[in-house]
Amino acid sequence: MWDWSFALEILPEIVSALKITISATFAGFAVALVLGLILTLLRRSDKVIISKAAQGFIEFIRNTPILVQLYFIFYVFPEFGLSLSPFAAGVVGLGLHYSTYLSEVYRSGIDAVPQGQWEVGTALNFSKTQIWTKIIIPQAVPPVVPVLGNYLLTMFKETPLLSAITLVEILQTAKIIGSRSFRYLEAFSIVGLLFLLLSYPSSLLIQRLDKKLNRR
Amino acid sequence: MKENILVKYNDIHKSYGDLEVLKGINLGIHEGEKVALIGPSGSGKTTLARLLMTLEEPTKGTIEVDGKLLWHEEVNGKLQRASEKHLHEVRGNIGMVFQHFHLFPHMTVLENVMEAPISVLGMKKEDAKKDAQEMLDKVGLIDKVDTYPAQLSGGQKQRVAIARALVMRPKIMIFDEPTSALDPELVGEVLDVIKDIAKEGKMGMLLITHEMDFAMDIADRVVFFDEGIILEQGPPKELLNNPKTERLQTFLSRFMNAN
Ligand SMILES: Nc1ncnc2c1ncn2[C@@H]1O[C@H](COP(=O)(O)OP(=O)(O)O)[C@@H](O)[C@H]1O
Ligand SMILES: [Mg+2]
Repeated sequence: MWDWSFALEILPEIVSALKITISATFAGFAVALVLGLILTLLRRSDKVIISKAAQGFIEFIRNTPILVQLYFIFYVFPEFGLSLSPFAAGVVGLGLHYSTYLSEVYRSGIDAVPQGQWEVGTALNFSKTQIWTKIIIPQAVPPVVPVLGNYLLTMFKETPLLSAITLVEILQTAKIIGSRSFRYLEAFSIVGLLFLLLSYPSSLLIQRLDKKLNRR
Repeated sequence: MKENILVKYNDIHKSYGDLEVLKGINLGIHEGEKVALIGPSGSGKTTLARLLMTLEEPTKGTIEVDGKLLWHEEVNGKLQRASEKHLHEVRGNIGMVFQHFHLFPHMTVLENVMEAPISVLGMKKEDAKKDAQEMLDKVGLIDKVDTYPAQLSGGQKQRVAIARALVMRPKIMIFDEPTSALDPELVGEVLDVIKDIAKEGKMGMLLITHEMDFAMDIADRVVFFDEGIILEQGPPKELLNNPKTERLQTFLSRFMNAN
């Protein structure tokens, strides 16, 4: 059954693939953070066409499976002259998909800032941009940091999807080891364990961060 | 008091849907003049103030501030809705203290007062700090500079809000029921601060309040507002001792009974 020496032998290979998984997670999250903010701002636009278009885009992305989106980006876009590496396509796909969720998180944070804060910003003659950067965002973001953090963890756990577009991340690496050696137990167990080892302490960290940020 | 007119409402109307809240207001406020706005709740006092603070746009009519149109701008001889730039320029003359303070909860008391002078007026940080400290001293809160708003009483919060508005050196300050959200025992400390500011003289005030004695004490003129129009106005004593309209008589008697 479980073979310790085999497990130790394949560990370095799997751990090195973990780097791909982690980079894809953070890069995808960065895309989602920025794109999500842009979507939030577009959705609040005074121009109805713009806010409706942003809303429609969000609904469209949310109501189609992420796997279909990844396939489109990786296999269909090249037909229109946009070829992306598996890593880039994965980052764009994850980022795009999660931006719609993060946009909702930002929105809830912004809506929780009382109307009076906008009004006093105007009364003190801050510019529109300054009201956003100095008054609204500093109040809207800290309460939603734990939610954002949980989305980061969710994304992390979704990265094995990227093996479907040929990215050799941690799960794909385990599969390759398995088919090479006909031993799957150790490889997949290590993968599961690594996810657990990274996710659980991170979720504790997020809780601590929440306490620290939202103390006042 | 024959000084320059600082604020002038010209036939101002404001409607929300079918509801006409202001029905043609003409009102001038001189430089440094203290005007108390009294009237029943729902009569449109707050709306009148919010139009001046550019928080609401008039449906009809114009407002002039320091000789410039507030909500309008002349472009090639034609009157247009003011640009953001124009609003920004004219708005600098006006300050406002709100019923519910609206302090910035993520900033300390000192930062609350310093932020606008730095960001809006471009003041140097050290100068803004010195100024903010002086102003906080004036409202009796110099020992609270490093406190966050959540730790203050209502009266202290409102005094910080007053300091924050004052450091912008507006030519006219709007107070919209500054003590209505306070526990009764905290009203006095805020009224005292406003009185002190009023006695200094230079800054104009548009004061919406239900504190009649206070209004009589500091106002140069009292304006009685009812159902979206100005029903009566005049020097405090005259208005109080000699109300001409029945509405004002009723309004005042209710207050005299209440107090
Ligand atoms: N944003 C708004 N939308 C609809 N009606 C409003 C709005 N703001 C104020 N009103 C109405 O306008 C009237 C005057 O309100 P307000 O100016 O607050 O009176 P006051 O300050 O004298 O109590 C009230 O009937 C109020 O319900
Ligand atoms: Mg009111």
